[in-house]
Amino acid sequence: MTTASIPVLTKKDFQTDQEVRWCPGCGDYAILSAVQSVFPELGIPREKFVVISGIGCSSRFPYYMNTFGFHTIHGRAPAVATGVKIAHPELEVWVATGDGDSLAIGGNHTIHMLRRNVGIKVLMFNNKIYGLTKGQYSPTSEFGKKTKSTPYGTADRPFNPLGLAIGADTGFVARSVDVFQGHLKDTLKKAAAHKGSAYVEILQNCNIFNDGAWFNLTEKEARSEHVVQLDHGKPLIYGKNRDKGIRLNGMELEVVHLGNGNGLTEKDLLVHDEKHPNPAYAFLLAQMEEKPGFPTPIGVLRSWDRDRYEDVMAKQIQDVIAKRGPGDLAKLLHAGDTWEVR
Amino acid sequence: MICDIQRGGPSTGLPTKTEQADLLQAMFSRNSEAPIPILAPSTPGDCFWVAVEACRIALKYMVPVIILSDGYLANGAEPWRIPTVDEIPGIQVKFATDPNGFHPYSRNPETLARPWAIPGTPGLEHRVGGIEKQDVTGNINYEPLNHEKMVRLRAAKVEAVGQDIPDVVPVGDPDGDLLIVAWGSTYGAITAGMKPMRAKGHRIGHVHLRHLNPLPRNLGEVLGRYRQVLVPEMNMGQLLMLLRAKYLVDAQGYNKIQGQPFKQVEIEAKIEEILG
Repeated sequence: MTTASIPVLTKKDFQTDQEVRWCPGCGDYAILSAVQSVFPELGIPREKFVVISGIGCSSRFPYYMNTFGFHTIHGRAPAVATGVKIAHPELEVWVATGDGDSLAIGGNHTIHMLRRNVGIKVLMFNNKIYGLTKGQYSPTSEFGKKTKSTPYGTADRPFNPLGLAIGADTGFVARSVDVFQGHLKDTLKKAAAHKGSAYVEILQNCNIFNDGAWFNLTEKEARSEHVVQLDHGKPLIYGKNRDKGIRLNGMELEVVHLGNGNGLTEKDLLVHDEKHPNPAYAFLLAQMEEKPGFPTPIGVLRSWDRDRYEDVMAKQIQDVIAKRGPGDLAKLLHAGDTWEVR
Repeated sequence: MICDIQRGGPSTGLPTKTEQADLLQAMFSRNSEAPIPILAPSTPGDCFWVAVEACRIALKYMVPVIILSDGYLANGAEPWRIPTVDEIPGIQVKFATDPNGFHPYSRNPETLARPWAIPGTPGLEHRVGGIEKQDVTGNINYEPLNHEKMVRLRAAKVEAVGQDIPDVVPVGDPDGDLLIVAWGSTYGAITAGMKPMRAKGHRIGHVHLRHLNPLPRNLGEVLGRYRQVLVPEMNMGQLLMLLRAKYLVDAQGYNKIQGQPFKQVEIEAKIEEILG
């Protein structure tokens, strides 16, 4: 395929004329903007994109993207997306979903899509609440959180979405943030380039029903002090003065301070390896922010390839046809126990 | 295509025993008013032809179709003459390809079906989804009159399926004392069970419905040709309810809900009881 055959696409080509219904100040606008900026740069004709969603504010996404789109039913985007991808493996299938849609009612579909490694890019907008239905808690809300449906605090511990994805052996696991536009676009591009399932958690702020959920990461000073950016081959270093880092000590990660007399330098820090063969490594990274005193990692935790479900299926069909010939309806009708009446 | 092989319920119920109690579920179970065509085979061999007909309807009218079979048919067997490939009606499908004048929510005037545009076709990019849409354009639309129009359009499309359904012709007498109306696996017991009373001179007809939604267009007229109407069913009276509501006919039911098919002697005895 030569680039001469594809017209140059712009952000405008991916915008629809539909009135956007998200609240003013919603983090979803930033995510939409990033996706509409990245899609034209991928060198893929517009008709090849399919954006599929479930239910929620996240799931209004397809209506604002000028591509083929399916707004399906609650939690079921992965099922429809899997069908689309199997029927047409040449299409670029993206899922826009949320913490409620994909991890509550959609949890089952999510793990099977990831387990199968279907070539779908999942954008999970995590705002730690049910936004569309106005403020009930979700599977990622903190333990003890008071919401409309939990006036005395939740009684359940939340999922760790990236940990769940790693548990399903997902090939590409990443996290970014709605307001870190540069990082988000970069992460989207990397997800687009990945062949198998790509799972991207996007920390998103619902300013009406859970405002400030991520302010400890996104407010002015917070980013440098509370976020560590993962870059393949680079050390895990953070802090405004690049004076903090992460070190692997046996099977534990620990936060260390550099240059305060303890003799530790960048060379002592853990160097990120997104291709680490042991998923336990990525799992340690996914768990990091749950520990007090640790930063939250963003970037690509894990990136490795294995056979995609749709390719295994297509190859099987090919192989069987090569061995046994294409289907023959007349033969099939006469198969089994038949006899002739004279 | 949804195949519901009905069994004793509710829930796990009698998982290996027969029943035909999902008819009203098939008619009314989708949220809001969203009818779909319903077909029911009457014999094991008929399952093949009903499946072909269901696919034809699904692809011509762009609508999901439900087939209601039951445990008795699933576990049953009969000699089945294998058709030649030519005997099986072909199903033509036309995909949208031309962006000029393409509107995702426009409809074929005869079938009311919307165009089928495969993702990946240049120029046909559009969104489908659960939120109510504007007629023709497919934009999200909450306007009151548009919604009413769309609800009626979707129902009209299912009604339009009726234009291809052949009129029912009663087996036995074309008019007279009793019409037996039924569906599904009760076919055999009724066919045999009505013979003795017919032999005695009673005028009895039997309509076995293959299409339950929409119902054949001449069914109302046929119902009127008989003094009484009997509806034997393995449920509490579901087709009975639909016939009474739609045709204002004082039909009566013969309801057996025991996980077992009707016996022909039971049908015979019931007919005798009704006709004296």
